[in-house]
Amino acid sequence: MARVVLTGIGLITPVGNDVATTWAALVAGKSGIGPITHFDTSAYECPIAGEVRGLDPASVVEAKLLRRLDQSSIFAIAGAQGAIADAGLDMPRENGKRVGVVLGTGMGAAHLLVDQQRVLDEKGPRRVSPFLTSHMLPDTATGLIAIAIGARGPNFAISAACATGGAATGEAAEIIASGRADVMITGGYEAPLTPVYYAGFHAMRALAVAEDPTKAVRPFDADRSGFILGEGAGIMVLESLEHAQARGARIYAEWLGAATSNDAYDMVAAAEDGHGVAQAMREAMAEAHLQPGDIDYINAHGTGTALNDRAETTAIREVFGADADRLMVSSTKPIIGHMMGAAGAVEAAIAALSCYHGVVPPTINYHTPDPDCDLDYVPNVARTAPVRRAMSTSVGLGGHNSAIIFGRWDQ
Amino acid sequence: MPDERRPDERRVVVTGVGLLTAVGAGREASWQALLAGTNGIRPITLIDPSDLPAKVAGEVPEFDLTQYLDRKEARRMDRFTHLAVVAAGEAIEQSGLDVRAEGDEIGCMIGAGIGGMSTLEEEFKVLFEKGPSRISPFLVPMFIPDMAAGQVSIRFGARGPNFNTVSACASGADALGTALETIKRGDAIAMIAGGAEASVTRMSVAAFAASRALSRNDDPETASRPFDAGRDGFVLGEGAGILILEEREHAVRRGAPILAEFASYGQSADAFHVTQPSENGEGAARAMNIALRKAGITASDIDYVNAHGTSTPLNDKFETLSIKTVFGEAAYSIPVSSTKSMVGHTLGAAGGVEAAVCVLSLRDQRIHGTHHLVTPDPDCDLDYVPNESRELPLTYVMSNSLGFGGHNSSLIFKRAEG
Repeated sequence: MARVVLTGIGLITPVGNDVATTWAALVAGKSGIGPITHFDTSAYECPIAGEVRGLDPASVVEAKLLRRLDQSSIFAIAGAQGAIADAGLDMPRENGKRVGVVLGTGMGAAHLLVDQQRVLDEKGPRRVSPFLTSHMLPDTATGLIAIAIGARGPNFAISAACATGGAATGEAAEIIASGRADVMITGGYEAPLTPVYYAGFHAMRALAVAEDPTKAVRPFDADRSGFILGEGAGIMVLESLEHAQARGARIYAEWLGAATSNDAYDMVAAAEDGHGVAQAMREAMAEAHLQPGDIDYINAHGTGTALNDRAETTAIREVFGADADRLMVSSTKPIIGHMMGAAGAVEAAIAALSCYHGVVPPTINYHTPDPDCDLDYVPNVARTAPVRRAMSTSVGLGGHNSAIIFGRWDQ
Repeated sequence: MPDERRPDERRVVVTGVGLLTAVGAGREASWQALLAGTNGIRPITLIDPSDLPAKVAGEVPEFDLTQYLDRKEARRMDRFTHLAVVAAGEAIEQSGLDVRAEGDEIGCMIGAGIGGMSTLEEEFKVLFEKGPSRISPFLVPMFIPDMAAGQVSIRFGARGPNFNTVSACASGADALGTALETIKRGDAIAMIAGGAEASVTRMSVAAFAASRALSRNDDPETASRPFDAGRDGFVLGEGAGILILEEREHAVRRGAPILAEFASYGQSADAFHVTQPSENGEGAARAMNIALRKAGITASDIDYVNAHGTSTPLNDKFETLSIKTVFGEAAYSIPVSSTKSMVGHTLGAAGGVEAAVCVLSLRDQRIHGTHHLVTPDPDCDLDYVPNESRELPLTYVMSNSLGFGGHNSSLIFKRAEG
């Protein structure tokens, strides 16, 4: 099996449109949650979200293509451009057949579909855009990126609700480990801030309410009241160690293992005992040949819902036993929101960056301990500490779970 | 005890098949109808097609949900999930696998190209007419494309690796290929895998027609005619094809029915154009060559190709070219047929449906024909098994799927030993 390393990161998040800006805000604990500006929200009590700001679509793709693209594809392409530049990957010098693209999105092209549904209803079927089918699919961005950079290797999208980004990144790593590609562009992206999806989540009564948007999401706190949607992309360049070293690439961290699982329990609620996410954590650790004492930090799913945070804590205690008390566990969702299909990938990148920088971003808005959530959640202030290995976990609607582990690169 | 075998030492077999298509709501019904050359393309009934640019499709005949889902559960799932649950149930029953007992080691990957399209369209209507506060709390968990994999795992207790793969019309094939690799690397002992799609919705018909991919022919008897000179586009179909993939020793140990071996999976991207195939079908040829290499065989070992064969002018021409690139002169002596000639193009389900067809072909040593092929096209000059099924010795068969975005996937199945 080939060793796999992370050499490039592109982040489009509510706190920054590149890796450096986003990381600085995460470490400073500066939340990007604010009032929704993308659509009319007068019908809602607390219309807040993590919106991407200051990303000029015209700087991402040319005008002709831009008209055909969904917002989600723009995030994906911008993230991929950032990751490739960050990795210093010179595509014209690469063998395109050995470069693949596996990205994830939980929902796909929501904006484009809403626009075209209006056309269908108001003007009739013959006025629907000829570019809709090819640009509305959950795999559209993987195809567009492959075309843009000449990546002719493995290419598809993965969808597993909120565990999408973790599942896609893990699968891309497995493709390199098994020798099917040298370089993979991977990660997740999502643009869920359209009226129809927002209304759907609102109807599920899962969204947090707060006067100050930056304080709305309070993972693991006794007064937590729900999650808040975020948008953006987390795209990474993974490559075989041999390939990275041959081109003298900067290595952020080594990928050590990943797993997905399903609770096989309920389509909306996570299992109370967190058995599904516990299984994903155990299997990722088994693949990496690691013991509980080998992990220093978990970037948790930590949505800020009553059930999730309790179940996740239970799962961590079950898997890590006595070592759970020396683990650092934090949730970055109060800062960047719940980025849905992008969450697992952005958070996997954060886990890798914590190994690289030796700094763990905090769980902000943490004030009142909950007896059911009794781990070290790195409250409110980032911590400088050596991180040998970090894990990112994700839990999704439909019972999906993912876990992925990165290790510090010491050479 | 940990299994320390290398991926190439683990072999994967197919022990169950579930199949719902326009020609039959079940495995044997579908398969016998395909062999008999039954046409599943009919006037659309699921939606009102009167103002739509296409009026025929391949709809699945009435099927019984109640053995797997109660009415309340069924209402909270989109039709593509219904199709997936029923097909998975049929496949699991045939395999005799006790999914719940070994659930931690059994995963589920079901490809869907779009997801719950009709749910989304209904909710758009609610949003536009009644406002956001009336949107269903089940919209999100009904629409998202991973829900077939999620609900199947919940229904049958498969707690292992679980997600959905999306690669347009290659989605089902990539789910199967990714599931194969998951077993080979030791992450599961069995996988419930394939594709499901409920594509007959107003938006789907309007959008595919707008992209000029759909046939404008309203005659059900000639609308879907892959490789025929008169072809003018594909006909939408719905369906599900789900296989139980199982690590061979596990299947042998429990005395499971071994229908075929899943030999290999090859995948590539054209990196060329969103809707058009690359020059000479280079990307598709590369996927086939990768699959051949991974199976450890050469092109001459393949006895049958189940083509993507959509019935669009471009696809059939370029797929023919790609088969010639891979098979050389031998291309003319290998039977190639298109299931879509009878069931339409089931989009994300197609790779699953056609893999199921390949497994049943190996089991029965018979292949179905390409129907509605009347006028030969000089650009499509292979043996497409016109209009009649055929009996022949089959050892290795190949299924190809090609998708918008330039995704290409090739699966190779082998006759079961012994």
